[in-house]
Amino acid sequence: MNVLIKSATIVDSKSDFHNQTLDILIERGVITQISKQIKNPKNYKEIKLDNLHISQGWFDSSVSFGEPGYEERETIENGLKTAALSGFTSVAVNPNTNPVIDSNSDVSFLKGKANGNAVALYPIGALTKESKGEDLAELFDMKNAGAIAFGDYQKPICNPNLMKLALQYASNFEGLVYSFPQESRISGLGVMNENVTSTSLGLKGNPTLAEELQIVRDLFLLEYTGGKLHIPTISTAKSVELIREAKQKKLNVSCSVAIHNLVLTDDELHTFNTNLKVLPPLRTKDDCNALIEGLKDGTIDMVTSDHNPIDIEHKKIEFDYAKYGTVGLESAFGALNTVFTIKKTIDLLTKGKERFGISSHSISVGNKADVTLFNPNIEHSFTKENIYSASKNSIFEQHKLKGKVYGILSNNQLILN
Amino acid sequence: MSELSVNHLLGIKYLNSQDIQLIFETADHFKEVINRPIKKVPSLRDITIANLFFENSTRTKLSFELAEKRLSADVINFSASQSSVKKGETLIDTVNNILSMKVDMVVMRHPNPGASVFLSQHVNASIINAGDGAHEHPTQALLDSYSIRERLGSVKGKNVVIVGDILHSRVALSNIFALQLQGANVMVCGPKTLLPKYIDKLGVKVETDLRKALNWCDVANMLRVQNERMDISYFPSTREYTQQYGVNKALLDSLNKEITIMHPGPINRGVEITSDVADSKQAIILDQVQNGVAVRMAVIYLLASKIKH
Repeated sequence: MNVLIKSATIVDSKSDFHNQTLDILIERGVITQISKQIKNPKNYKEIKLDNLHISQGWFDSSVSFGEPGYEERETIENGLKTAALSGFTSVAVNPNTNPVIDSNSDVSFLKGKANGNAVALYPIGALTKESKGEDLAELFDMKNAGAIAFGDYQKPICNPNLMKLALQYASNFEGLVYSFPQESRISGLGVMNENVTSTSLGLKGNPTLAEELQIVRDLFLLEYTGGKLHIPTISTAKSVELIREAKQKKLNVSCSVAIHNLVLTDDELHTFNTNLKVLPPLRTKDDCNALIEGLKDGTIDMVTSDHNPIDIEHKKIEFDYAKYGTVGLESAFGALNTVFTIKKTIDLLTKGKERFGISSHSISVGNKADVTLFNPNIEHSFTKENIYSASKNSIFEQHKLKGKVYGILSNNQLILN
Repeated sequence: MSELSVNHLLGIKYLNSQDIQLIFETADHFKEVINRPIKKVPSLRDITIANLFFENSTRTKLSFELAEKRLSADVINFSASQSSVKKGETLIDTVNNILSMKVDMVVMRHPNPGASVFLSQHVNASIINAGDGAHEHPTQALLDSYSIRERLGSVKGKNVVIVGDILHSRVALSNIFALQLQGANVMVCGPKTLLPKYIDKLGVKVETDLRKALNWCDVANMLRVQNERMDISYFPSTREYTQQYGVNKALLDSLNKEITIMHPGPINRGVEITSDVADSKQAIILDQVQNGVAVRMAVIYLLASKIKH
């Protein structure tokens, strides 16, 4: 693939060309020239787009597709296409399939399915067999097949001794353990944040306490065991505080936050809209502000869309019965860009890879082209037409978002909207 | 004639105070009707109403059915002990099947909070919520306020305490909204395990001492302990609950004033209130039941008149 990108503003703090508007020549997937006014050498495809910006390819550390088992929600093929059209060149995929991704062959299946795709797929293996929370899965074997971390998606490990063993065992081979932050015996049957809105809707509340207790437990365990811990999708102000303290103690912990938890609050649930039913639940404005602050000061390592397509049959039902989850890849950039400057937005969308041992490529001559193309300034109302996923359950439907993704150039392939 | 601001009765929180006023004035008329020798009016001869009960109910169902029949509506009943989802059919499909038989109005009780709101967003009929999980039970709150108005002249400025299991109670929530809309002062009283942590943010007083609550109030609405809604035990034993939150005659007589006792039924005699309290002249429990029919007639009549327009 040979491409000449014309007049693109480079947003890449690791690149010498940061903040400059230049032409970029890409030949056979490698950046060969960056300068003003490059002449098209051999009738290469030229990309000229309105207010074109370019950054390193974006990364998402928590994406769910349905395959295998829940293809009605999303397939790997369409999931990766969705990622590409949404600007992502690398995605870490959760093991919440049927069967659960808990063995070498399951990991190999995912890798095989994504082989040759423009978007790189990095499997997260289940931490426990069938994600039942009882016995450790074959972590080492999965790592050898290409699993980048281990966790039971949105299923907390109730037994503290099991989490202790997981951290100890995975540290043998520097495995990264995900621990979903929820003490299930406190969250009980809660379906939304416990607060005045849950009270007024008669919906059972899931208190912030459930998340914070589990984080405290896991940080204590980590201090005891050593090892590497990743806490996905924190959602409360106190969680930020707890992790800030842990990092000051030099514990080897990282965490992420779902983008919708930065922008939306639980009072939006007043219409019982099941597309707003997510886990962790939407919290309060104070929590949003603390999470944003946590991203600014580096306490929170990365953002995620926590992309989770759910078919309409599991959403267009009573709130209690509806499944948790929202599609998020398509709205990730537009939502984040309403909260942060464009520089910070891109910084956040390209962060996190190193925690999983995934290499990144800055925009420099000689580097592999792994880039996202976008226009940061277009404001629009997000609708179903903006959703590429097989399932249309978006928490951001009808919300004003800012910025348009043009596409990606990655793995020697160009995918444009 | 004025009309309701809503097309469905999904909860008190969706009404305004004029709506409540209108419902009460209409109920006054129907109360007079049901005390006549001929208790029926022909108002809704062209309306068909489906009563869909996805959860057990005796009095609410009877009360609705009677209200519908006294308005001369055609009535069909559908009961399912468990949700239709578990049988494989979605709620929307179940209701649309019934609506395709030319039904105009649906009265629904359902175990899930928000079920009637959800239904109103997806089907083409006027919906009356007859209780949805721990969310709302608007006609109960309306008949409770109507009964207070009848006994004490008005609701405005009265001190009303709701006692018992607030956490699992749609009656409590609808009552809080209804009483506040009419200018009453509301307190909730019960063991902390049965009070939602953020209930005070709804603007109610919170008290755990029953005697203090009773001394404060003009009216005490005693809720039933809803064992069937509890996933774990919130207090050690019924005996111990009664020791702290049961109202008996001795307690009532020791107060410095005569308060009114209400109960949405069914009563666990000897648990929330003793028999001598339930049967005393301070209790208006059976008035509530009678008013329930008149209030439900009013609600159905007012919503039906919006269908016709």
